[in-house]
Amino acid sequence: MLRPRVIVCLDVKDGRVVKGTQFKNLRDVGDPVELAAQYEAEGADEIVFLDVSASKEARGTLLDVVRRTAETLFVPLTVGGGVRSAEDIGPLLRAGADKISVNSAAVRDPELISIGADRFGSQCVVASIDAAKEDGLWRCYTHGGTQPTELDAVEWAAECQALGAGEILLTSIDQDGARNGYQLDLTREVADTVPVPVIASGGAGRAEHLRDAFVVGHASAALVAGILHDGLTTVGALKQSLTDWGLPVRPTPLGTNT
Amino acid sequence: MRIALYDYGAGNLHSLGKALEGAGADVVVTADWSEALGMQALVLPGVGAFGAAARALPDDRSGLRQALADGLPCLGICLGMQLFFETSEESQGDGIGLVPGTVDLLDAPIVPQMGWNDVEVGNDPIFEGVDSLVAYYANSYVCVPDDSAEEIAWSEYDGRRFAAGVRRANTWGLQFHPEKSSGPGRRIVANFVTVAQELVR
Repeated sequence: MLRPRVIVCLDVKDGRVVKGTQFKNLRDVGDPVELAAQYEAEGADEIVFLDVSASKEARGTLLDVVRRTAETLFVPLTVGGGVRSAEDIGPLLRAGADKISVNSAAVRDPELISIGADRFGSQCVVASIDAAKEDGLWRCYTHGGTQPTELDAVEWAAECQALGAGEILLTSIDQDGARNGYQLDLTREVADTVPVPVIASGGAGRAEHLRDAFVVGHASAALVAGILHDGLTTVGALKQSLTDWGLPVRPTPLGTNT
Repeated sequence: MRIALYDYGAGNLHSLGKALEGAGADVVVTADWSEALGMQALVLPGVGAFGAAARALPDDRSGLRQALADGLPCLGICLGMQLFFETSEESQGDGIGLVPGTVDLLDAPIVPQMGWNDVEVGNDPIFEGVDSLVAYYANSYVCVPDDSAEEIAWSEYDGRRFAAGVRRANTWGLQFHPEKSSGPGRRIVANFVTVAQELVR
Protein backbone atom coordinates (compact mmCIF):
# COMPACT_ATOMS: atom_id res chain seq x y z
CA MET A 1 0.00 0.00 0.00
CA LEU A 2 1.45 3.34 -1.01
CA ARG A 3 1.53 5.66 2.00
CA PRO A 4 0.32 9.28 1.91
CA ARG A 5 3.45 11.39 2.33
CA VAL A 6 4.21 14.27 4.68
CA ILE A 7 6.89 16.44 3.11
CA VAL A 8 8.76 19.17 4.98
CA CYS A 9 9.83 22.28 3.06
CA LEU A 10 12.73 24.48 4.13
CA ASP A 11 13.47 27.87 2.57
CA VAL A 12 17.22 28.17 2.10
CA LYS A 13 19.00 31.47 1.51
CA ASP A 14 22.76 31.80 1.22
CA GLY A 15 23.27 28.46 2.91
CA ARG A 16 20.94 29.02 5.87
CA VAL A 17 17.32 28.11 6.54
CA VAL A 18 15.29 31.30 6.71
CA LYS A 19 11.75 32.11 7.60
CA GLY A 20 9.65 35.14 6.87
CA THR A 21 6.42 36.34 5.42
CA GLN A 22 6.21 36.45 1.62
CA PHE A 23 10.00 36.50 1.45
CA LYS A 24 10.09 39.63 3.65
CA ASN A 25 11.53 40.01 7.14
CA LEU A 26 13.64 36.90 6.65
CA ARG A 27 15.28 35.60 9.74
CA ASP A 28 17.79 32.83 10.24
CA VAL A 29 16.31 29.72 11.80
CA GLY A 30 19.15 27.27 11.44
CA ASP A 31 21.46 25.03 9.50
CA PRO A 32 19.78 23.15 6.63
CA VAL A 33 21.90 20.04 7.14
CA GLU A 34 20.95 19.75 10.81
CA LEU A 35 17.30 20.66 10.31
CA ALA A 36 16.84 18.17 7.46
CA ALA A 37 18.29 15.36 9.58
CA GLN A 38 16.12 16.40 12.52
CA TYR A 39 12.96 16.28 10.39
CA GLU A 40 13.93 12.84 9.08
CA ALA A 41 14.27 11.66 12.68
CA GLU A 42 10.81 13.06 13.44
CA GLY A 43 9.33 11.07 10.58
CA ALA A 44 9.34 13.38 7.55
CA ASP A 45 8.87 11.29 4.41
CA GLU A 46 10.78 13.73 2.23
CA ILE A 47 12.59 17.06 2.47
CA VAL A 48 12.30 19.96 0.04
CA PHE A 49 14.84 22.78 -0.09
CA LEU A 50 13.49 25.88 -1.77
CA ASP A 51 16.41 28.14 -2.61
CA VAL A 52 15.31 31.75 -2.18
CA SER A 53 18.74 33.28 -2.70
CA ALA A 54 18.73 36.19 -5.05
CA SER A 55 22.36 36.24 -6.11
CA LYS A 56 24.18 34.08 -8.61
CA GLU A 57 27.01 33.70 -6.12
CA ALA A 58 24.62 31.68 -3.96
CA ARG A 59 24.77 28.83 -6.51
CA GLY A 60 27.98 27.37 -5.15
CA THR A 61 26.68 27.71 -1.61
CA LEU A 62 23.49 25.84 -2.51
CA LEU A 63 25.43 22.99 -4.10
CA ASP A 64 27.59 22.75 -1.00
CA VAL A 65 24.52 22.65 1.26
CA VAL A 66 22.92 19.95 -0.89
CA ARG A 67 26.12 17.91 -0.83
CA ARG A 68 26.46 18.07 2.94
CA THR A 69 22.76 17.34 3.45
CA ALA A 70 22.79 14.29 1.19
CA GLU A 71 25.61 12.80 3.22
CA THR A 72 23.48 12.61 6.36
CA LEU A 73 19.94 12.45 4.98
CA PHE A 74 18.40 9.09 4.15
CA VAL A 75 15.02 10.18 2.85
CA PRO A 76 14.48 11.83 -0.57
CA LEU A 77 15.65 15.41 -1.06
CA THR A 78 14.08 17.73 -3.63
CA VAL A 79 15.74 21.02 -4.51
CA GLY A 80 13.83 23.86 -6.13
CA GLY A 81 14.34 27.50 -6.78
CA GLY A 82 17.82 27.16 -8.18
CA VAL A 83 17.00 25.65 -11.55
CA ARG A 84 17.04 28.21 -14.33
CA SER A 85 18.22 26.08 -17.23
CA ALA A 86 18.80 22.43 -18.12
CA GLU A 87 22.46 22.92 -17.25
CA ASP A 88 21.51 23.53 -13.62
CA ILE A 89 19.87 20.11 -13.20
CA GLY A 90 22.89 17.80 -13.47
CA PRO A 91 25.03 19.61 -10.88
CA LEU A 92 22.19 19.63 -8.33
CA LEU A 93 21.53 15.91 -8.79
CA ARG A 94 25.21 15.11 -8.66
CA ALA A 95 25.55 17.20 -5.51
CA GLY A 96 22.96 14.95 -3.87
CA ALA A 97 19.44 16.05 -4.76
CA ASP A 98 17.14 13.16 -5.65
CA LYS A 99 14.72 15.42 -7.51
CA ILE A 100 14.70 18.94 -8.77
CA SER A 101 11.64 21.13 -9.02
CA VAL A 102 11.16 23.67 -11.78
CA ASN A 103 8.69 26.54 -11.87
CA SER A 104 9.33 29.85 -13.64
CA ALA A 105 12.07 28.42 -15.83
CA ALA A 106 9.75 25.68 -17.12
CA VAL A 107 7.05 28.20 -17.98
CA ARG A 108 9.61 30.17 -19.96
CA ASP A 109 11.12 27.06 -21.53
CA PRO A 110 8.94 23.92 -21.24
CA GLU A 111 11.69 21.89 -22.91
CA LEU A 112 13.51 22.09 -19.60
CA ILE A 113 11.16 19.38 -18.33
CA SER A 114 11.60 17.06 -21.30
CA ILE A 115 15.37 17.45 -21.31
CA GLY A 116 15.52 16.73 -17.59
CA ALA A 117 13.27 13.68 -17.91
CA ASP A 118 15.19 12.29 -20.88
CA ARG A 119 18.57 12.67 -19.24
CA PHE A 120 17.77 11.80 -15.66
CA GLY A 121 14.36 10.11 -15.65
CA SER A 122 10.87 11.41 -14.93
CA GLN A 123 11.16 10.41 -11.27
CA CYS A 124 13.54 13.27 -10.59
CA VAL A 125 11.65 16.08 -12.35
CA VAL A 126 9.01 17.83 -10.23
CA ALA A 127 6.90 20.50 -11.92
CA SER A 128 6.17 23.21 -9.37
CA ILE A 129 3.03 25.24 -10.08
CA ASP A 130 1.83 28.31 -8.17
CA ALA A 131 -1.82 29.14 -8.90
CA ALA A 132 -4.64 31.45 -7.84
CA LYS A 133 -8.32 31.46 -8.85
CA GLU A 134 -8.94 34.33 -11.27
CA ASP A 135 -11.49 34.93 -14.00
CA GLY A 136 -12.75 31.37 -13.78
CA LEU A 137 -9.38 29.74 -14.21
CA TRP A 138 -6.58 28.63 -11.93
CA ARG A 139 -4.11 31.20 -13.15
CA CYS A 140 -0.44 30.18 -12.91
CA TYR A 141 2.03 32.66 -11.53
CA THR A 142 5.80 32.65 -11.78
CA HIS A 143 8.66 34.30 -9.87
CA GLY A 144 7.45 33.45 -6.39
CA GLY A 145 3.83 34.24 -7.16
CA THR A 146 4.47 37.75 -8.44
CA GLN A 147 4.06 37.43 -12.21
CA PRO A 148 0.77 36.27 -13.75
CA THR A 149 0.77 34.06 -16.83
CA GLU A 150 -1.96 33.04 -19.27
CA LEU A 151 -1.67 29.42 -18.18
CA ASP A 152 -4.40 27.49 -16.38
CA ALA A 153 -2.95 25.27 -13.66
CA VAL A 154 -4.94 22.17 -14.61
CA GLU A 155 -3.94 22.41 -18.27
CA TRP A 156 -0.37 23.34 -17.46
CA ALA A 157 -0.03 20.43 -15.04
CA ALA A 158 -1.21 18.06 -17.77
CA GLU A 159 1.29 19.57 -20.19
CA CYS A 160 4.11 19.25 -17.66
CA GLN A 161 3.25 15.58 -17.19
CA ALA A 162 3.15 15.04 -20.95
CA LEU A 163 6.60 16.63 -21.19
CA GLY A 164 7.92 14.14 -18.65
CA ALA A 165 7.41 15.56 -15.16
CA GLY A 166 7.06 12.72 -12.65
CA GLU A 167 5.31 14.75 -9.96
CA ILE A 168 3.38 18.01 -9.56
CA LEU A 169 4.07 20.32 -6.60
CA LEU A 170 0.94 22.44 -6.51
CA THR A 171 0.84 25.60 -4.39
CA SER A 172 -2.19 27.77 -3.83
CA ILE A 173 -0.99 31.36 -3.70
CA ASP A 174 -4.13 32.47 -1.85
CA GLN A 175 -3.78 29.85 0.86
CA ASP A 176 -0.01 30.00 1.23
CA GLY A 177 0.87 31.06 4.78
CA ALA A 178 -2.80 31.46 5.80
CA ARG A 179 -2.83 28.20 7.75
CA ASN A 180 -6.52 27.59 7.18
CA GLY A 181 -6.21 24.62 4.86
CA TYR A 182 -5.01 23.65 1.40
CA GLN A 183 -6.98 24.81 -1.65
CA LEU A 184 -8.86 21.53 -2.02
CA ASP A 185 -10.72 22.30 -5.26
CA LEU A 186 -7.47 23.15 -7.01
CA THR A 187 -5.73 20.11 -5.58
CA ARG A 188 -8.51 17.73 -6.56
CA GLU A 189 -8.94 19.13 -10.05
CA VAL A 190 -5.26 18.69 -10.81
CA ALA A 191 -4.93 15.34 -9.02
CA ASP A 192 -7.94 13.95 -10.89
CA THR A 193 -6.56 15.15 -14.22
CA VAL A 194 -2.89 14.21 -14.24
CA PRO A 195 -1.67 10.58 -13.96
CA VAL A 196 1.29 11.51 -11.75
CA PRO A 197 1.39 12.19 -7.99
CA VAL A 198 0.29 15.63 -6.79
CA ILE A 199 1.82 17.29 -3.73
CA ALA A 200 -0.59 19.73 -2.07
CA SER A 201 1.09 22.89 -0.86
CA GLY A 202 0.09 26.14 0.79
CA GLY A 203 -2.22 26.45 3.75
CA ALA A 204 -1.31 23.73 6.23
CA GLY A 205 -2.33 24.83 9.71
CA ARG A 206 -3.49 21.65 11.44
CA ALA A 207 -3.48 17.89 10.93
CA GLU A 208 -7.07 18.08 9.63
CA HIS A 209 -5.81 20.07 6.67
CA LEU A 210 -3.43 17.29 5.67
CA ARG A 211 -6.21 14.73 6.05
CA ASP A 212 -8.45 16.81 3.77
CA ALA A 213 -5.66 17.18 1.19
CA PHE A 214 -5.46 13.38 0.95
CA VAL A 215 -9.13 12.46 1.35
CA VAL A 216 -10.88 15.38 -0.36
CA GLY A 217 -8.08 16.78 -2.53
CA HIS A 218 -6.84 13.36 -3.70
CA ALA A 219 -3.24 14.48 -3.13
CA SER A 220 -0.48 11.87 -2.85
CA ALA A 221 1.54 14.07 -0.52
CA ALA A 222 1.15 17.19 1.59
CA LEU A 223 3.81 19.85 2.01
CA VAL A 224 4.25 21.41 5.44
CA ALA A 225 6.53 24.28 6.43
CA GLY A 226 5.67 27.18 8.72
CA ILE A 227 3.71 25.36 11.41
CA LEU A 228 6.68 23.06 11.97
CA HIS A 229 9.33 25.77 11.90
CA ASP A 230 7.28 27.83 14.36
CA GLY A 231 7.07 24.88 16.71
CA LEU A 232 3.26 24.74 16.61
CA THR A 233 3.33 21.02 15.92
CA THR A 234 5.72 18.25 14.92
CA VAL A 235 5.83 15.76 12.07
CA GLY A 236 5.27 13.03 14.63
CA ALA A 237 2.15 14.70 16.03
CA LEU A 238 0.73 15.30 12.54
CA LYS A 239 1.32 11.68 11.59
CA GLN A 240 -0.17 10.41 14.82
CA SER A 241 -3.38 12.34 14.15
CA LEU A 242 -3.49 11.08 10.56
CA THR A 243 -2.97 7.52 11.80
CA ASP A 244 -5.77 7.94 14.36
CA TRP A 245 -8.09 8.95 11.53
CA GLY A 246 -7.21 5.84 9.57
CA LEU A 247 -4.80 7.34 7.06
CA PRO A 248 -1.95 4.88 6.45
CA VAL A 249 0.99 7.27 6.78
CA ARG A 250 4.42 5.74 7.27
CA PRO A 251 4.96 5.19 10.98
CA THR A 252 7.45 7.54 12.59
CA PRO A 253 10.75 5.71 12.68
CA LEU A 254 11.01 4.90 16.36
CA GLY A 255 13.08 1.87 17.13
CA THR A 256 14.86 1.79 13.79
CA ASN A 257 18.46 0.87 13.52
CA THR A 258 19.94 4.30 13.00
CA MET B 1 36.31 -4.15 1.91
CA ARG B 2 36.53 -2.14 -1.28
CA ILE B 3 33.21 -1.66 -3.01
CA ALA B 4 32.81 -0.08 -6.44
CA LEU B 5 29.89 2.33 -6.72
CA TYR B 6 29.30 2.64 -10.42
CA ASP B 7 28.69 6.15 -11.73
CA TYR B 8 26.55 6.38 -14.88
CA GLY B 9 27.12 10.13 -14.81
CA ALA B 10 23.63 11.05 -13.66
CA GLY B 11 22.13 11.50 -10.28
CA ASN B 12 22.73 11.38 -6.57
CA LEU B 13 25.35 8.90 -5.35
CA HIS B 14 26.07 10.60 -2.03
CA SER B 15 23.45 9.01 0.18
CA LEU B 16 24.22 5.52 -1.10
CA GLY B 17 27.96 6.09 -0.77
CA LYS B 18 27.53 7.30 2.80
CA ALA B 19 25.26 4.38 3.68
CA LEU B 20 27.91 1.94 2.38
CA GLU B 21 30.70 3.77 4.21
CA GLY B 22 28.61 3.81 7.36
CA ALA B 23 28.61 0.02 7.16
CA GLY B 24 32.39 -0.04 7.04
CA ALA B 25 32.93 -0.27 3.30
CA ASP B 26 35.71 1.53 1.46
CA VAL B 27 33.72 3.04 -1.42
CA VAL B 28 35.29 3.79 -4.79
CA VAL B 29 33.05 5.79 -7.13
CA THR B 30 34.04 4.90 -10.66
CA ALA B 31 32.85 4.98 -14.25
CA ASP B 32 35.60 2.58 -15.34
CA TRP B 33 34.29 -0.98 -15.70
CA SER B 34 37.68 -2.67 -15.46
CA GLU B 35 38.32 -0.82 -12.20
CA ALA B 36 34.81 -1.59 -10.95
CA LEU B 37 35.11 -5.31 -11.68
CA GLY B 38 38.46 -5.39 -9.89
CA MET B 39 36.85 -4.47 -6.57
CA GLN B 40 35.56 -6.94 -4.01
CA ALA B 41 31.94 -5.96 -4.59
CA LEU B 42 29.91 -3.83 -6.99
CA VAL B 43 26.93 -1.56 -6.45
CA LEU B 44 24.81 -0.36 -9.37
CA PRO B 45 22.86 2.67 -8.16
CA GLY B 46 19.33 3.48 -9.17
CA VAL B 47 19.50 6.84 -10.84
CA GLY B 48 18.85 7.98 -14.38
CA ALA B 49 16.94 6.53 -17.28
CA PHE B 50 17.31 2.90 -18.46
CA GLY B 51 18.53 3.84 -21.93
CA ALA B 52 21.17 6.26 -20.64
CA ALA B 53 22.38 3.77 -18.04
CA ALA B 54 22.39 0.90 -20.55
CA ARG B 55 24.57 3.03 -22.84
CA ALA B 56 27.00 3.40 -19.93
CA LEU B 57 27.38 -0.38 -19.76
CA PRO B 58 30.41 -1.82 -21.56
CA ASP B 59 29.69 -2.53 -25.24
CA ASP B 60 30.52 -6.14 -24.63
CA ARG B 61 28.36 -7.19 -21.68
CA SER B 62 29.97 -10.62 -21.42
CA GLY B 63 32.78 -9.65 -19.03
CA LEU B 64 30.38 -7.98 -16.64
CA ARG B 65 27.88 -10.81 -16.91
CA GLN B 66 30.63 -13.36 -16.32
CA ALA B 67 32.02 -11.50 -13.28
CA LEU B 68 28.58 -11.55 -11.69
CA ALA B 69 27.99 -15.16 -12.67
CA ASP B 70 31.39 -16.01 -11.14
CA GLY B 71 30.23 -14.63 -7.82
CA LEU B 72 31.28 -10.97 -7.57
CA PRO B 73 28.88 -9.71 -4.88
CA CYS B 74 26.64 -7.12 -6.49
CA LEU B 75 23.75 -4.96 -5.36
CA GLY B 76 21.58 -3.28 -7.99
CA ILE B 77 19.11 -0.66 -6.85
CA CYS B 78 15.95 0.33 -8.77
CA LEU B 79 17.29 1.00 -12.26
CA GLY B 80 20.43 -0.89 -11.25
CA MET B 81 18.25 -3.94 -10.58
CA GLN B 82 16.46 -3.52 -13.90
CA LEU B 83 19.84 -3.57 -15.66
CA PHE B 84 20.31 -7.21 -14.58
CA PHE B 85 17.63 -8.11 -17.12
CA GLU B 86 18.01 -8.26 -20.88
CA THR B 87 15.85 -5.38 -22.03
CA SER B 88 13.29 -2.94 -20.70
CA GLU B 89 10.03 -1.71 -22.13
CA GLU B 90 11.39 1.73 -21.28
CA SER B 91 14.12 1.66 -23.86
CA GLN B 92 15.73 -0.42 -26.53
CA GLY B 93 19.04 -0.26 -24.68
CA ASP B 94 20.30 -3.70 -23.74
CA GLY B 95 20.74 -4.65 -20.12
CA ILE B 96 23.29 -7.07 -18.72
CA GLY B 97 21.16 -10.13 -19.35
CA LEU B 98 22.13 -11.90 -16.13
CA VAL B 99 18.62 -12.65 -14.89
CA PRO B 100 16.14 -14.11 -17.40
CA GLY B 101 12.90 -12.15 -17.40
CA THR B 102 11.40 -8.85 -18.42
CA VAL B 103 11.11 -5.28 -17.16
CA ASP B 104 7.52 -4.13 -17.56
CA LEU B 105 5.87 -0.72 -17.42
CA LEU B 106 3.61 -0.35 -14.41
CA ASP B 107 0.03 -0.33 -15.58
CA ALA B 108 -1.70 1.95 -13.06
CA PRO B 109 -3.62 5.25 -12.97
CA ILE B 110 -0.66 7.01 -11.33
CA VAL B 111 2.83 6.31 -12.67
CA PRO B 112 5.60 6.62 -11.48
CA GLN B 113 5.04 4.90 -8.20
CA MET B 114 6.38 7.63 -5.94
CA GLY B 115 6.60 7.23 -2.22
CA TRP B 116 6.71 4.79 0.64
CA ASN B 117 5.25 1.35 0.16
CA ASP B 118 5.10 -1.76 2.32
CA VAL B 119 7.59 -4.48 1.51
CA GLU B 120 7.09 -8.11 2.43
CA VAL B 121 10.58 -9.48 2.91
CA GLY B 122 11.57 -13.06 2.33
CA ASN B 123 14.13 -15.11 4.19
CA ASP B 124 17.35 -13.63 2.90
CA PRO B 125 20.40 -12.36 4.83
CA ILE B 126 20.07 -8.96 3.16
CA PHE B 127 16.92 -8.43 5.25
CA GLU B 128 18.50 -9.58 8.52
CA GLY B 129 17.01 -7.62 11.43
CA VAL B 130 14.42 -5.89 9.24
CA ASP B 131 11.08 -7.15 10.48
CA SER B 132 8.63 -4.69 9.02
CA LEU B 133 9.68 -2.59 6.07
CA VAL B 134 8.12 0.46 4.46
CA ALA B 135 10.49 1.59 1.73
CA TYR B 136 10.81 4.47 -0.70
CA TYR B 137 10.06 3.81 -4.36
CA ALA B 138 10.42 6.01 -7.43
CA ASN B 139 9.81 3.69 -10.36
CA SER B 140 7.70 3.37 -13.47
CA TYR B 141 8.87 -0.17 -14.28
CA VAL B 142 8.97 -3.46 -12.42
CA CYS B 143 11.06 -6.59 -12.94
CA VAL B 144 9.48 -9.93 -13.72
CA PRO B 145 12.00 -12.78 -13.43
CA ASP B 146 11.13 -15.90 -15.43
CA ASP B 147 11.89 -17.95 -12.33
CA SER B 148 9.79 -16.68 -9.43
CA ALA B 149 12.14 -18.50 -7.04
CA GLU B 150 14.57 -15.62 -7.65
CA GLU B 151 12.16 -13.17 -5.99
CA ILE B 152 13.09 -12.39 -2.38
CA ALA B 153 10.68 -9.54 -1.51
CA TRP B 154 7.36 -8.22 -2.71
CA SER B 155 5.26 -5.08 -2.77
CA GLU B 156 1.88 -4.28 -4.20
CA TYR B 157 0.96 -1.26 -6.27
CA ASP B 158 -2.52 -0.61 -7.60
CA GLY B 159 -3.44 -4.22 -6.94
CA ARG B 160 -0.41 -5.67 -8.68
CA ARG B 161 2.09 -7.66 -6.66
CA PHE B 162 5.61 -7.26 -7.96
CA ALA B 163 9.15 -8.23 -7.07
CA ALA B 164 10.58 -5.72 -4.59
CA GLY B 165 13.78 -7.75 -4.58
CA VAL B 166 15.48 -10.48 -6.60
CA ARG B 167 18.50 -12.62 -5.91
CA ARG B 168 20.55 -14.80 -8.21
CA ALA B 169 23.56 -16.32 -6.42
CA ASN B 170 25.62 -13.36 -5.19
CA THR B 171 23.64 -10.74 -7.09
CA TRP B 172 20.90 -8.84 -5.28
CA GLY B 173 18.45 -6.43 -6.85
CA LEU B 174 16.13 -4.09 -4.94
CA GLN B 175 13.39 -2.16 -6.69
CA PHE B 176 13.04 0.33 -3.83
CA HIS B 177 15.75 2.72 -2.65
CA PRO B 178 17.27 1.46 0.62
CA GLU B 179 19.49 4.54 0.77
CA LYS B 180 16.31 6.68 0.83
CA SER B 181 14.35 4.45 3.21
CA SER B 182 15.68 5.89 6.47
CA GLY B 183 16.86 3.54 9.24
CA PRO B 184 15.60 0.18 7.94
CA GLY B 185 17.00 0.98 4.49
CA ARG B 186 20.41 1.73 5.91
CA ARG B 187 20.28 -1.58 7.72
CA ILE B 188 19.70 -3.36 4.39
CA VAL B 189 22.69 -1.59 2.84
CA ALA B 190 24.77 -2.58 5.87
CA ASN B 191 23.56 -6.17 5.53
CA PHE B 192 24.76 -6.24 1.93
CA VAL B 193 28.21 -5.10 3.06
CA THR B 194 28.25 -7.79 5.76
CA VAL B 195 27.15 -10.53 3.39
CA ALA B 196 29.60 -9.42 0.70
CA GLN B 197 32.45 -9.47 3.25
CA GLU B 198 31.58 -13.02 4.19
CA LEU B 199 31.41 -14.07 0.54
CA VAL B 200 34.84 -12.73 -0.38
CA ARG B 201 36.55 -13.94 2.78
